Amino acid sequence: MKRKRWLSRAAVAATIAFAAAAGVAAGLASASPATTEAAPVAPVAPPGPSPLIYPGESLPIRFDHARHARLGATCEGCHTAAAGSTVAADNLIPGEAACRGCHKIDRANPTKTVPAGQGAARCDACHVDPAGHGWMPPASSNGQTPAEPPPVVMPRPNLKFNHRLHASRGLGCALCHTAAAGQAMVTRADLPMMASCLACHDGKQATARCAACHLTEPDGRLRVQLATAATIAAGGTGLLEPSGSLRGFDAHGPTFRRDHAQAGRDERYCLTCHRRNDCIDCHGGVVRPPDIHPADYVSLHVVDARRNVPDCSSCHRLQTFCVGCHQRTGVSADPSGGQPGVRASNPFGTGTGVKQFHPPGWARDAAGVVIAAPRPNSHSTAAKRNIRTCVSCHREESCLTCHSTDPTRGPTFSPHGPNFAGTARCRFLSSRNQRACLKCHAIGSAELDCDR
Amino acid sequence: MRQAILVGVVICAAVPRAFAYDFAVDLRTIGQGYQVRGFAPDGRNELLSRRRLTQYLDLAVSDIGPSAWHGDDGGRNLFFFDASMRLDADFGGYLLGAPTGAAASPELKQSQLDILYAYFGGRNVGGRLDFQLGRQIHFDLVDFYAFDGADLQLHVSRLFTVEALAGTEVRGELPLSSPIYALDGTSAGSRDPATRPDQNSVLAPMAGAAIAVGPPSGAATARLAFREVWSATADRLPGEPASGVNFEALSLTAAAHWRDRITISGGIRYNILFDELDDEQLALRVKLTPRQWITLEHDFLAPTFDGDSIWNVFATGAYRDLRASYEVALPRGVKAYARGFVRFFEATPDEVATAGPYAGQDVGAAGPGGRRAQGASLGAAWRSARGMARADAYWDDGYGGRKLGGDATARFKVRAPLELEARATGYTWRSDLQTAGTTGEGVVFGLQGGGRVLLGPGVRLHLLLEDNVGTFYSSQFRGLAMVELDAGL
Repeated sequence: MKRKRWLSRAAVAATIAFAAAAGVAAGLASASPATTEAAPVAPVAPPGPSPLIYPGESLPIRFDHARHARLGATCEGCHTAAAGSTVAADNLIPGEAACRGCHKIDRANPTKTVPAGQGAARCDACHVDPAGHGWMPPASSNGQTPAEPPPVVMPRPNLKFNHRLHASRGLGCALCHTAAAGQAMVTRADLPMMASCLACHDGKQATARCAACHLTEPDGRLRVQLATAATIAAGGTGLLEPSGSLRGFDAHGPTFRRDHAQAGRDERYCLTCHRRNDCIDCHGGVVRPPDIHPADYVSLHVVDARRNVPDCSSCHRLQTFCVGCHQRTGVSADPSGGQPGVRASNPFGTGTGVKQFHPPGWARDAAGVVIAAPRPNSHSTAAKRNIRTCVSCHREESCLTCHSTDPTRGPTFSPHGPNFAGTARCRFLSSRNQRACLKCHAIGSAELDCDR
Repeated sequence: MRQAILVGVVICAAVPRAFAYDFAVDLRTIGQGYQVRGFAPDGRNELLSRRRLTQYLDLAVSDIGPSAWHGDDGGRNLFFFDASMRLDADFGGYLLGAPTGAAASPELKQSQLDILYAYFGGRNVGGRLDFQLGRQIHFDLVDFYAFDGADLQLHVSRLFTVEALAGTEVRGELPLSSPIYALDGTSAGSRDPATRPDQNSVLAPMAGAAIAVGPPSGAATARLAFREVWSATADRLPGEPASGVNFEALSLTAAAHWRDRITISGGIRYNILFDELDDEQLALRVKLTPRQWITLEHDFLAPTFDGDSIWNVFATGAYRDLRASYEVALPRGVKAYARGFVRFFEATPDEVATAGPYAGQDVGAAGPGGRRAQGASLGAAWRSARGMARADAYWDDGYGGRKLGGDATARFKVRAPLELEARATGYTWRSDLQTAGTTGEGVVFGLQGGGRVLLGPGVRLHLLLEDNVGTFYSSQFRGLAMVELDAGL
């Protein structure tokens, strides 16, 4: 009856939670996006480079770079500000004045015709409306107050870049802007990507520091919160994260929080963006991460602990974290097993408690006799495979009760495998730290000699 | 005294005023109240109330020194200081009746003050040297440690870096030291608390060296490292060794990358203390298409402990994992994954019983759960600048027991300063060691709800409530409140 009650309660609660989450999601999906700056006009879907680095642009113009190049136009002839630019935020798009040198524009005459062979002067020769059709001023303006064409919008890139420095070292425009002179329209999709930067920024020809190009926080870490109206409109998270293109395993996918061991091989790389505390929050933290340990993990953890999946010790020191909780919650060895101060009537006390933690045959047979030879249910296999589980309740004294050479403690079952004395493991352990040996063996005893 | 003052005045006068320090202070106060399942002396389930207050104080000072030191690209002679301190205090009834004396556990102290790390560092000093002085934490694929001392990295050339470290290991028994970094294997008083001092409270010197090969952004890198920790014998008796090695290992980690398509990475550790390869990891990640990835992993791990521990003798088993995962990026910011694993516990030479009623039988294979475990999980996550939602399901079985469950989470920005979050969890589990009908199996459903609000520049409040129902109780409550304060100067 009780089981049915909590099951129905849980089902109702789960339904409410999912409905609430779905409702919030549906409601917010139709809401207008949050903005942190003025939204650009009709952001372009971002193929090519990341919209976080080069946010979406609006280019309501027709322009054929290749044709202009064939006619003798040079990069610096139109992009006059480029060679002197020191920051990436500079607007290097040529204005109307740059066009007027060849295109005899007359704002009072938007349909002006020019002789064949000269640069067009009509508005719709270059400007287009949001639908992509040639743009002309509305008829109502009647030449009195010329209407402005849709503006070109190039949000500032989230990068550091010094055109002047690169130009001063003799690097031509085409080295980075490889597509510019060879195709008609050039968009953000043709802007240089990180791979082309790394061709020179390899730590030898030029610095390979991430912070040399990426924006940084005051403490030198990369600025990763790059949410702007443009980046949000492009459908991104606004968060600069590794895609995996640089190191493969660094891709911050849906399983990264659980599976980042390979990425963590190089701590310096992680610390490019993360603070040291980001590691400590999980690896030694005090707040249960719910995506790693679900609700009421205390009940569930018995399965993971026995199997050691994931490796519990990557976040918990077993002899403090596990032992402390087990002692306090009554899941520990009997007080007489060497832990004074534990609650006197521990329900899981070895053999004397009202509940039995280990299955029958773990250490003693049905008659209460200590098991001398391993059995399928006995503790020897578990101890060999994952003694860390044992450590969460027991201390070395528990083992020494039966596995010591001192007969006054109890049985003297050897924990060493066959022919241990002749093994390299014996010699290495004995030569490097004989203190461990002396917990079971007497000082000066013959067993301490691995070559006996 | 006068001379000291004079020297101080001269130094202050000589220091250029163009120094541009950046200070960052991060203060986090975390309050938690939750119930822990325990067992009353008569064997009944009981819920213990735990109240915790944790205070983090992080201080970072960067860009120490005049800008002129930093060179053309701003990357030279960077000096900084980084520190984190934590006070973790426990209230409520959880600690009542906790063990005392030799059985006391550091985790059951009413309050614990730790300096997690505090070091002064330099990067690219003279274009060659990186260093850190103080309490520091380091990790790589096969190692994770903390020590008080110095760590130096000399970039001999673009391809070669040599490293050296020296100091003392951070152990929980030392003042202001967290036990989380100490080697497992010996607990306080394990040498017989009645008569012998605690070996763990002795300072443990640590030294290490490494060679790293490969350019910073190169297609292939490798690092060969050696590290040793040792300690003098506390209260040494005649016939006992003067010192003992607590840890000694040689490790090699390496990675190679080909055209952003294929990455291979791995590490191997030779534990000199036991003459054994105790950690082997190898992983391959392949970008199948611009939206699909597959990862294959192989892990081998043999449990090893502090050199003072007798468990190094008992724990002769090892396990080997094979894992595979597949990720795909779907339209509209959704990513999905599927992963699976198989774990094989290797047989030890003495697992075939030579005596007793099971003589001649492989008791390792015949025991609960056998010698294998396996599992799978799959899920999908959607993220945008306004929030996230994800759903996961998992199953695993074999040695250890069975788990089957799922989890759904959502978090959204409702209005500019406010985020709401919700989570629903349900699972069933069964331990392979317990018989049915006892405490070895159960079903749990849990709900979480809460939110985060930005109270002002750099000030955030995070509230979270959780209630669980399951086999063992009709309600288990958990509450969390966190106030974060970030300030920079």
